[in-house]
Amino acid sequence: MTDLLALFVQQSVNGVYLGCLYVMVALGLTLIYGVLNQINFAHADFVTVGAFAALFTATRFATKVLGLPDTGAYLLSMVAALGTGALLGLAVNAAVFAPLRERGDELRPLIATIGVSVIIENGQLWLFGPIPYQFDSPFSRETIRVGRIFFSMQSALVVAVSAAAIAALYAFMKFTFLGKALRAVAQDRETAGLMGINPNLLIAITIVIASALAGVAGALLGPVLVLTPFAGASVIVKAFAIVIIGGFGNMQGTIIAGLLVGIIEAFTVQYLGSGLIDLVVFVLLLVMLVVRPTGLIAERKEENV
Amino acid sequence: MRVRIVSVLIAILVVAALPWLLQTPYWRGILVLCAMNVLLALSLNLVLGYTGQLNLGQSAFFAIGAYVSTILIKSYGWSFWLAALAAVGGAGLLGLALAAFAVRLRGHYLAIASLGFAVITYQVLINWENVTQGVRGIYGILPPVRSTIGLFYLVAGIAVLVYVLMDNLVRSPIGETLRAIREDEVSAASLGINGAVWKAFAFGVGAAIAGLAGCFYPGFVGTLVPEAFNIVESFTMLAMVIVGGMGTMIGPVIGAIVLTFLPEVLRDFGEFRLMIYGLALTLVVLFMPGGIVQAWRALTGRR
Amino acid sequence: MTFLKAQGLSKSFGGVRAVQNVSIAVPENSIFALIGPNGAGKSTVLNLLSGIYQPDAGDLIFKDTDLIGLAAHQRVRLGIARTFQKIRLFKQLTLLENVLAGFHIHQDAPFWKYLVYGNAGRFREEARELLDFVGLASHASARAGALPYGQQRMLEIARALATRPRLFMLDEPAAGLNGSEVDFLLDRLTRIGGRGVTLVVVEHNMDLVMSVAHRVFVMDHGEPLFEGTPRDVQANPRVIEAYLGGEFAS
Repeated sequence: MTDLLALFVQQSVNGVYLGCLYVMVALGLTLIYGVLNQINFAHADFVTVGAFAALFTATRFATKVLGLPDTGAYLLSMVAALGTGALLGLAVNAAVFAPLRERGDELRPLIATIGVSVIIENGQLWLFGPIPYQFDSPFSRETIRVGRIFFSMQSALVVAVSAAAIAALYAFMKFTFLGKALRAVAQDRETAGLMGINPNLLIAITIVIASALAGVAGALLGPVLVLTPFAGASVIVKAFAIVIIGGFGNMQGTIIAGLLVGIIEAFTVQYLGSGLIDLVVFVLLLVMLVVRPTGLIAERKEENV
Repeated sequence: MRVRIVSVLIAILVVAALPWLLQTPYWRGILVLCAMNVLLALSLNLVLGYTGQLNLGQSAFFAIGAYVSTILIKSYGWSFWLAALAAVGGAGLLGLALAAFAVRLRGHYLAIASLGFAVITYQVLINWENVTQGVRGIYGILPPVRSTIGLFYLVAGIAVLVYVLMDNLVRSPIGETLRAIREDEVSAASLGINGAVWKAFAFGVGAAIAGLAGCFYPGFVGTLVPEAFNIVESFTMLAMVIVGGMGTMIGPVIGAIVLTFLPEVLRDFGEFRLMIYGLALTLVVLFMPGGIVQAWRALTGRR
Repeated sequence: MTFLKAQGLSKSFGGVRAVQNVSIAVPENSIFALIGPNGAGKSTVLNLLSGIYQPDAGDLIFKDTDLIGLAAHQRVRLGIARTFQKIRLFKQLTLLENVLAGFHIHQDAPFWKYLVYGNAGRFREEARELLDFVGLASHASARAGALPYGQQRMLEIARALATRPRLFMLDEPAAGLNGSEVDFLLDRLTRIGGRGVTLVVVEHNMDLVMSVAHRVFVMDHGEPLFEGTPRDVQANPRVIEAYLGGEFAS
């Protein structure tokens, strides 16, 4: 394998790994938008909280209190992160989305979640301080080698977990009754309600699933990110970029877009330096918004005037 | 009309008296900051409160004002006022650029695009080190007026002037046009209102005013780093407009004053400044969307 | 020269053909009805005429001006006004403010005058007259959103009239109105027509427009079906079948 080809493949592998992480975050956003037509601006902060929850569970609780080995501790921490995310989702839904739903005001929930995001970030700042935390997963130390391509066990785990989560979610949405009900609510809330589906319950379930995903993403991202209370801020705008490129509410689009952004990031880091990642991604976002605001795979619908 | 003239006179008197009520350099500095925040809140209010465009990128124009003026003064020896003029013009032009997105995008999409706009500006400031010195920052910046009191009078005077002009504007048919666009753009178009032109107007003027505020910031602080123009600044401005009362003239002023002084008054909680903003924003949006102005009107029984 | 002439208009949305090859000729000073069952494409045609959509194909000429490429707000200045199927009032503003908004295209003061002081006074009198015309003069200071549905419809008409149109298009103006409100509406429409304004009315209820329309154009499934006087239309078997067979008009 030539040097260049090996480098190319290596970056692609890195890109896929990053992409999977981003997809997990972005999927939650797009799910919420799908059922609710709202954006949870605090979504990426759920990721950060999940990361912290995982960190403390793994290092303090699981190993010291329960005496679990490292790998077990890490896996337990993922569960903790999932739970934390779910709880946060429940809280934000109850406090923000549910009460504002009746008014039908498009932008108020978004603004409210901006406030929530600021609260969460600064709350964490108060609790944890500004210095980045070291989050070593037991898997990040081991590397697997295939030919000239290296990747850590952690990345393999990330890809495995996210692929499993995405597949499970996809199957759930397509094949189970609950999943179909969710899609019904996404398409037409009122009619779904008339058919005996309780849209409020389903919306709550969707938000919980989406936020749980974010939490687990945090547990997986923890070892990769610079873990400060403001880690969410760097992720949220990328997540938005992905959701817009893929199309709001469009699951397949989001998956493709997430992988795409991950790959773009990997190559940008390699050839342009890490400082320019955000710039590249957001320029891409703006270009997308000009050219195809509804996303890569979208149908043009007639605006009901 | 007479009521308005009297109110303006009272405001000028209050502004003139403030530095004598708050005598320490620290508090006088807070006054300067407050005046700047009033300008920023007014600028965002034109776009968000009156034209109904959720612009999360206002921090970019504040940044442009600060950087363009500082670089022109420090690297090219321009005088302050000439540099400020150029900076305001530059910010205004950038505002028109963002307006180009606003014309094509609505609601959530515009919010995200404007956020992306602000992030891109921030990243450019960090990375274009030849020009902006990046994260190292620019040092030794002098304000146009040396004394803090003088600086306060300058910025506050400008804020009062901007307020009066904007108040006239929103009471005029132009204000009605902007409000029509805010309420229902399609409907406004059916009455002959050209949404694109007026959005460009609102964004451009709003950006220019934010840029104007930005001209005074580096001199006040003494140094200029990109971190000061993080997208959180956009959220701060958003909080001031909404907490005060979106879509009114006095609301953003009140919001700016309250949110500038509140964290200082709760002195031990100074480091909670941002958290207070977040909390205030969320609570107001959930329970009192019209902000302090709405609360006041409810208390005094007016419409 | 036909007052409003559309030739071969077509419009598709994502593969669905909403309007196909529709040609309309509206004579000046007439009341022209555009009817058809639900989903016939009537509203789309209206949106094409008023500029909300640009057609995929076809010509559109108003008096001597080619409308293709002109945006909606530009057509208003030519004298084309419209109302919407879904009421689109400025709900937070008062009735008077809503109607005043319609006078904007007649404002001509230079920009700097507004900075010094605005001038809202000029059209107040005329605005009140319009409110009186639709029977809402006593509610001038009420919030538009607080009005009952039928009155909101009339307010929308008053507001559109403020633009002083020569061609006034209404999209299902009678939807949701009760019997007496419909009578009042039809009376007002006749009066508007009497003042020299050409009317194009989209309705899917046949009987409604028959009493006021001079000419009726029937559409079905996006295509033209029949055109003629109200009596011809009512007697035409294909029209009757379109309404009774397939989609049922409520």
